[in-house]
Amino acid sequence: MASRVVITGLGVVSPIGIGVSTFWKSAMAGQSGISTITSFDPFPMDGYRSKIAGQIRNFSAEQHIGSSHGDRVDRYAQFALAASREALSDSGMQMEKESPHRVGVIVGAGMGGMVMGEREITQLYLHQKPHRVHPNFIPVITLNSASGIVAMATGAKGPNFTISTACSSSAHALGQAWYCIRTGQADAVIVVGADASITPLVFAGFCSLRALSSKFNEQPERASRPFDRNRDGFVMGEGAGSLIVESLAHARRRKARIYAELAGYAATSEAYHMVIPREDGEEVATTMRLALKAADVSSSEVDYINAHATSTNIGDAVESKAIRALFKNRADKIAISATKSLVGHTLGAAGAIGAIATTLAIHTGQIHPTANYDDPDPDCRLNGISRDPQEKKIRAALLNAFGFGSNNAAVVLKRFRA
Amino acid sequence: MADRVIVDKIIQALAEYLKRDAGTIKAAHHLRDDLGLDSMAVIELLYKIEETFDLQIPDQDLVGLATVGSVASYVEGRLSPAKPAAKKAPKPTTTKAPTKRKAK
Repeated sequence: MASRVVITGLGVVSPIGIGVSTFWKSAMAGQSGISTITSFDPFPMDGYRSKIAGQIRNFSAEQHIGSSHGDRVDRYAQFALAASREALSDSGMQMEKESPHRVGVIVGAGMGGMVMGEREITQLYLHQKPHRVHPNFIPVITLNSASGIVAMATGAKGPNFTISTACSSSAHALGQAWYCIRTGQADAVIVVGADASITPLVFAGFCSLRALSSKFNEQPERASRPFDRNRDGFVMGEGAGSLIVESLAHARRRKARIYAELAGYAATSEAYHMVIPREDGEEVATTMRLALKAADVSSSEVDYINAHATSTNIGDAVESKAIRALFKNRADKIAISATKSLVGHTLGAAGAIGAIATTLAIHTGQIHPTANYDDPDPDCRLNGISRDPQEKKIRAALLNAFGFGSNNAAVVLKRFRA
Repeated sequence: MADRVIVDKIIQALAEYLKRDAGTIKAAHHLRDDLGLDSMAVIELLYKIEETFDLQIPDQDLVGLATVGSVASYVEGRLSPAKPAAKKAPKPTTTKAPTKRKAK
């Protein structure tokens, strides 16, 4: 019989707090982590349509991970290290007591080591000195650098890989960890989602794609407004989330505190368009349905959805339509919140940070508000969306994550019952 | 009607993008409904137009740029400082204006 999988540790580095307790306090207060970008010097911000992001301003590598690791660990991997370190400590799992090959690391990252990546590419084209390309350029920009670094820092020698599916990367990482444990490949997996690419080139690319909000440059904290009538695009964010997931037997053996059960997962492709979802929402609804089936959870048990909800016109409307199509009359009874309204869209980290919010909602019965939900868009109208905190005993919850490349993921978490 | 030279340049850009004869593209054509451009294609077209006319088109101005003619009028307004573009661009005749629709 396949193992049951549980979540026993959490760690986060986010624009609204470094560390789970600060993050959750800020989230429940509906605090926005969006601010004006000031870090693109010497690039003037005039040329950027959007000028705001969910930036982490108080991260210190020395303080949070003991060292900057020189030029060997890019910013996203530093976040990954900090979040996984907190999650491991929170779980109480001591690696020296574990069989190292039974603990895996699965990271979700959409962009990877873009800080050094951009710097080195720029230098090469500007100065045309190939011999001056940094020796760490390749190891740092290789997309699995964070999963390698987390393994080296923790001694986890089990399955180790990185999933890159754009904005759904770490929802897939969580889902693949579920498979890994269910099928007996590992007792525990350190799951991480991380990205830190608020960099001049990547940010310019998202501006050119006209995917970002530009209407609220003067009021950054109002810009990320999922489901609101005045939303005009997503706000880029950066950060990392980490969850320790393990088999129930393993958690019991070490008498671990269990936050929630990781019950199921589905991954699909719309096979439709690189950046536009199918407007009828059928593929999103199918993904949620398949995840519930994999989890053996009935749609009538779902009390909360942590929506993908990036604050784009079409994305939020499609997701709302899919929720209504799947849950029918119950759709308005399900509490829904959008973590991106607080932290922006952290790309590869979004699934993991959303999963942390979902886990804490199940564990505490508290659901964080959706910031800036001031004027509900009739195209997204679901009664469970609220700009106020909600209290609810949650039996089962869905975490949605959709990514460029026409991919969708849904993860089912539920209250743990022995 | 916008300046004929501007209209022709925009039609030429569209013809190259769509790989079809410029003579079959009219100013009244709706970018999405008549020419089949999805929202990403409209963004790509505007990117080309920004280069051709040395312009930066703010996101807020996308609303209303639904037809070949409305794009041309908008460009003409931007190139002529006496006529503010945002006011000059005609309203689209359909509600399916190609606003920002990227999603993920």
